Amino acid sequence: MSDAKQKKNFLSAIKEMPAAVWSSVFRNRLPHTDLGRSRTSFTNFFLHIQPVKVHKHTLKPWFTMGLGLISLFLFLILIVTGVLLMFYYVPSTTQAYDRMLDLRGTVAFGTMLRNMHRWSAHGMVAVVFLHMCRVFFTGSYKKPREFNWVVGVLLFLLTLFASFTGYLLPWDQLAFWAITVGTAIAGYAPVFGEQIRFLLLGDTTVGQEALLRFYVLHVAVLPVLMTLLIAVHFWRIRKDGGLSRPEDADIVTETSANLTNLQPNPAVAASSINTIEIKRYGIQGLVRGHFTKVGNVPDNTVFSYPNLLLAELFVFILTIFGVLLVSYFFNAPLEEPVNILHPPNPSKAPWYFLGLQEMVSYSAFWGGVGIPAIEVLILLFVPYLDRNKKGVGRWFAKERLLANTLFMTFVVVNIILIIIGTFFRGQNWEFVSPF
Amino acid sequence: MSEKDKTHNVEGTGEPISRRKILAWLTSMGLLGSGIVTIFSNFVFIKPRATYGQPSRFNIGTPEEYPPGTRMAFGDRKVAIIREADKMAAISLTCTHLGCTVGVAETGFACPCHGSRFDQDGNVTGGPAPKALPWYEVSLAPNGELEIDKSKEITPGKWFKV
Repeated sequence: MSDAKQKKNFLSAIKEMPAAVWSSVFRNRLPHTDLGRSRTSFTNFFLHIQPVKVHKHTLKPWFTMGLGLISLFLFLILIVTGVLLMFYYVPSTTQAYDRMLDLRGTVAFGTMLRNMHRWSAHGMVAVVFLHMCRVFFTGSYKKPREFNWVVGVLLFLLTLFASFTGYLLPWDQLAFWAITVGTAIAGYAPVFGEQIRFLLLGDTTVGQEALLRFYVLHVAVLPVLMTLLIAVHFWRIRKDGGLSRPEDADIVTETSANLTNLQPNPAVAASSINTIEIKRYGIQGLVRGHFTKVGNVPDNTVFSYPNLLLAELFVFILTIFGVLLVSYFFNAPLEEPVNILHPPNPSKAPWYFLGLQEMVSYSAFWGGVGIPAIEVLILLFVPYLDRNKKGVGRWFAKERLLANTLFMTFVVVNIILIIIGTFFRGQNWEFVSPF
Repeated sequence: MSEKDKTHNVEGTGEPISRRKILAWLTSMGLLGSGIVTIFSNFVFIKPRATYGQPSRFNIGTPEEYPPGTRMAFGDRKVAIIREADKMAAISLTCTHLGCTVGVAETGFACPCHGSRFDQDGNVTGGPAPKALPWYEVSLAPNGELEIDKSKEITPGKWFKV
């Protein structure tokens, strides 16, 4: 090879380098064909969490209301704002409160970040609960999704605990007495109650040790556990064949088959012609085997790229818009610094524990430990207790009247207790009217 | 089917359990045991042996500093010192309901958080508190000062004779 030719090769390699780097990173151009769309989903790490094709029923906004996605996005907002806040926060009884004032006064965007973190945390508790209600009322915890419901309940408990541990960190009167009251409720657990409280606080009262422990739980232990469980939760959605859908959602009608606009492979179409009406498998089922593609069998799915991605983007924008809006207009509360000698009257736990506190005012053990423990146990075992196979994938299915009524009672009773504890309890925990 | 696959322990057949199976069983038990020990030692680790807060045992001065009829609250220690004639007692100021600090009132103790009320000896007279305020051990240290030990609860009504 001549020198000139080598030089030319080298120069053209340099010229092609940006394109080569780009294609090595992204592997595909923006897809315009079905093959390209599936390739994009398969070869991109962040997209391969999504299925290549998604059922049309999954994309109906009023079926999921995007509650699971909103929970995830709030969690991500919490991680980002939380990490930023960590740069300025010190978990020390002598410094924490001053750092709160600094966030408010001197740190750029400090107030906004704290507001976002605070309201996202409250929002996440509420939205995760609503997501649980959605899954229940659509009967989506039934086979094969039983265990994913259990993972979801664990995630709900971890969300509560993460929010609770974060509540102490500002080290103001609100934080101190809420945690004093909250951990006192934990102390009512039989046999181990006092020990659990001691382990949690690292001391007999809320102090420096408790602040440090809550901080470590809040910024390290709980987020890692939650990330792990969220990964399992999502992975199982895929392996369980996507979101639940009604029995008739897989029947391909003339029009929907036409909408897929495909030319069926004659060989495959011939073999599947009898099974189209009762087709029960999704694309995930096919990926498990040796083949990722069995031909263009008409079905009720659309490509995730761009259909699902756009839906997710829409929910994300809605979530962050909501958080920004609330954070712009409402400041996170900050009361006076901790004064151990002067508990506020009444001392209230965080709002999501006020139902418990209301029950504790009737019976310490049953309200604080007994009933909540029974509730959590029943929640965890719901998919194994409810043997009814019907009514999957539909809101308030008639076949599930009993289950839905029971769950609705549970939800309404808890919400009423929280409302009473929040608005109707004044000095000395006496009944007051908020109006 | 190979020779090895045939070696299984069917109930009643008297066939020996294979060596492989015993080793597998021992290994799993070993791993399970190690796991339990690990979890347990983590609990031992996070349970503090020394706390960095206030000491549970402290001196409060000589008995002469507390004339008969004293009902004095040590707010930061969360304990009240009572003296009636020649007997003394230390009663907890931590509300047994949800851990707030109770105040010393005319009639006994009152909790500002949720309205629990206690009589002069700490017995519940009203409100949500489930049990009486505990009494702590009072003793006389060698230097003549009174010593309160909050880690030792005593039966209510057991006064310390000065």
